[in-house]
Amino acid sequence: MNPPTLEIEGLRVGFGAMEAVRGISLSVARGETHCLVGESGCGKSVSALAVMGLLPPGARRTVRRIAFAGEEIGQLSERQLARLRGDRMGMIFQEPMTSLNPAYTIGSQMTEVLRRHRGLSRGDAAERSVAMLDRVGVTAPAMRLGQFPHQLSGGLRQRVMIAMALLCEPKLLIADEPTTALDVTVQAQTLRLLARLQRDLGLAVLLITHDLGIVARVANHVSVMYAGEIVEQGSVEALFAAPSHPYTRGLLDAIPVPGKVRRGDRLGSIPGIVPRLAVGFVGCPFRDRCAHAAPVCAVEATRQEAGGEHVYRCRLPPGWWREAA
Amino acid sequence: MRLRRIPLVIGAIIVGFAAIVAIIGPWLAPHDPFVQDLGHRYVPPAWMAGGSPAHWLGTDGLGRDYLSRLILGARISMLIGVSTIVLSGTIGTTLGVLGGYFGGTVDAVVMFIVSCRLAIPLILVALTVVFMVGSSLAVVVLTIGLLLWERFAVVSRAVTRQVCALDYVAAAWAAGCSRTRIILREVLPNIAHHLVVIATIDMAIAILLEAALSFLGLGIPPPLPSWGLMIAEAKDYMFFTPWVIEIPGVALLVLVLGINLLGDGLRDALGARTDR
Amino acid sequence: MSASAIEAIGLSRVFDQRQGLFGEAKHVVAVDDISLDVASGRAIGIVGESGCGKSTLARVLLGILPPSAGTVRIAGQSLAEMDRRARARLIQPVFQDPMSSLNPRRRVADIVALPLIVQGVGSPERRRRVGAMLERVGLSADTGARYPAQLSGGQRQRVAIARALVNEPRILVCDEPTSALDVSVQAQILNLLGDLRAAFDLTLVFISHNLAVVEHIADEVAVMYLGRIVEHGENAAVFGAPRHPYTRALLASVLTPEPGLGLPDVPLGEGYPDPSNIPSGCRFHPRCPIAIDICRVRPPERRSVECHLAP
Repeated sequence: MNPPTLEIEGLRVGFGAMEAVRGISLSVARGETHCLVGESGCGKSVSALAVMGLLPPGARRTVRRIAFAGEEIGQLSERQLARLRGDRMGMIFQEPMTSLNPAYTIGSQMTEVLRRHRGLSRGDAAERSVAMLDRVGVTAPAMRLGQFPHQLSGGLRQRVMIAMALLCEPKLLIADEPTTALDVTVQAQTLRLLARLQRDLGLAVLLITHDLGIVARVANHVSVMYAGEIVEQGSVEALFAAPSHPYTRGLLDAIPVPGKVRRGDRLGSIPGIVPRLAVGFVGCPFRDRCAHAAPVCAVEATRQEAGGEHVYRCRLPPGWWREAA
Repeated sequence: MRLRRIPLVIGAIIVGFAAIVAIIGPWLAPHDPFVQDLGHRYVPPAWMAGGSPAHWLGTDGLGRDYLSRLILGARISMLIGVSTIVLSGTIGTTLGVLGGYFGGTVDAVVMFIVSCRLAIPLILVALTVVFMVGSSLAVVVLTIGLLLWERFAVVSRAVTRQVCALDYVAAAWAAGCSRTRIILREVLPNIAHHLVVIATIDMAIAILLEAALSFLGLGIPPPLPSWGLMIAEAKDYMFFTPWVIEIPGVALLVLVLGINLLGDGLRDALGARTDR
Repeated sequence: MSASAIEAIGLSRVFDQRQGLFGEAKHVVAVDDISLDVASGRAIGIVGESGCGKSTLARVLLGILPPSAGTVRIAGQSLAEMDRRARARLIQPVFQDPMSSLNPRRRVADIVALPLIVQGVGSPERRRRVGAMLERVGLSADTGARYPAQLSGGQRQRVAIARALVNEPRILVCDEPTSALDVSVQAQILNLLGDLRAAFDLTLVFISHNLAVVEHIADEVAVMYLGRIVEHGENAAVFGAPRHPYTRALLASVLTPEPGLGLPDVPLGEGYPDPSNIPSGCRFHPRCPIAIDICRVRPPERRSVECHLAP
């Protein structure tokens, strides 16, 4: 049995007096997609950057354990981490225009990756790049090498980003909101592409998103983040069948689903806004917005098991919502 | 955080001090800056051998008290600086905002005017004006003040275009605002912090320009103690009585440096606050 | 008294953009001969993806951009002939980006009071109405003294809505009002819009790329593609039985939060819509899964669904 491609235990990230990530743990197995879902400010992007070692200077990162394909990587130097980054971990971002350098051709950016990490010659690197572009479904790949990012549409640029991330055949792909900036028709195509590549390459994918629709369709496992913590975690079937944390339930109620919510009905909404938490905060971060808050929530949010690997942090026992309905 | 504020504070102190000196200095000057005392020419400053507290900064080639002349020179420099900001600022901002807001033909005309202005070397214009009209304080103030507007125009045009693309301008239009109200209420307050920075840059340039013109004999006419003129008058005796050229030189350096620091500091302070 | 709140007749809007110093002018047809008629009190949802021209259409309807051709009539009067105050009394916008739709240099109360100032309302009454409106949109009265930078995205959007409704217009044009907001905040704002629409008997023009949101809020739906409305009908009809292949593709692409359904295979081609280069014949044919020869040659007939093959 292969060890999981990525394992994180107790990751914390802080900036000054604020804590952006407050002790998260998750693992991504080979060939699986783990979705980290939450709204803005919950710390999901910061978590991804922390895994890749891409945090800005001034950020504090502590982690109990972080392992890549079974090897501990928490203590690696920046140089070793950089080698790992391009070579065996790939990352794609939300906005392809800012992650692709607009001043250089696609070809020069792609071949740079191969020449740097694999030491390929210019010719070989170009060949490999064309092959990868073809694999991600970019038409006329040889011509694209000579084009600049602004000459491509958003969907194509995102495919180029994916191609670049996969050039060195990484084991782990971290995708931070990869389809948020794309049109909805292109989004579906891009996600299908990612799924196919994942199958072909045995990739482990950590997908960060705010869109529960994407999570439902794409994820094997889900972690719901709120104010720097994972408040609910489990397989996608278990979580959607029995969403247990009040925040998860609130999010699901807030989404209009065609055919499910009648027009004129109000959408479920969560009052208030996401808090910014300082170091030393205790208790459940959701308590100020939760309809079921009780005094104990200011002290601790108990870890509950709703069956198998489906866990959540709340004072309410598993299945509480069945009685409330 | 505090470390970054230091240039702003230093700049503000220098410029503030110069402003105070300019306003009340001449009343506090120990001597009349125009009175000549040929018996006491080139008296060294009080801290050098041969100096005396009667003349803290010594005297110049005609026995005039240097401290008093320096103080009056500060007033002249600040006057040039402020009038440039007011005159050039008004002209340049008006042109730039109109061009940026209306676009199209208006913008093309504004850009043409700016290009013409950019094509003209300032010294040449100053020369010509002085030649035709003769030099006086008023002429120099007006010439420089009316000529340094191109930065204002270019920057205010660029920023106006950016601001006009934002939704709050569209919302004001939808709310029924007249063009005038939109420009005054929505555009100008949001370009002001850029203009403040340009104002400080232009102020420094104006002061240096005046000093250069006076140095060449084309600016403020003697016996008015423009710092540039003082430098020119001290040039011949530079190696014998160096303080005569050093003192106005250092004063000019410090003032222009202070203005630049103030401008940089303001840009950082204001820019950071409004960029959210 | 016309029952039509807002009417667009043969509306077109083109842009000629010069490309760089020596490039040729790009001729972009953002809105191509669109006609619409929204009855008073109804909500129309306009959906489409990037390049379809919906934001341009919104701005033309609001009077922010003049049309290149055609007219807009509001409550029976021509928009072009209306004086600006009259127009402001009838139709108001809510924009997408809560950061850039509020003047950062003004306090919230001043921002919301602007439409009243323009109409010449006196200061004491202004204060009263602004305060009432702020509470109506769910903000505390002291929010008026704050600056936009001190508010969250959701709060700013509420301010934008308050500004739009403070003078009680008849028509509200919302251009992606919730797209920049988190899901939970989006729900709050949508509920608010629903309440206010009922309270003020507003006609709503709701533009969005989010089909689920449009389905929730709109009575009728218009689907835009490259400047034309390719399908227009009642909500139930368009969402329940879409007739145009693009509408069908759009609906198929919506990822509902239902696990186990996998990813839809949306059969649209490689091409992306470029309004400066509109295809001949039916403008959708390069991406259409059922295009036939006639689609490449002849534009479809202008009716509620613009497709040669739709019934």
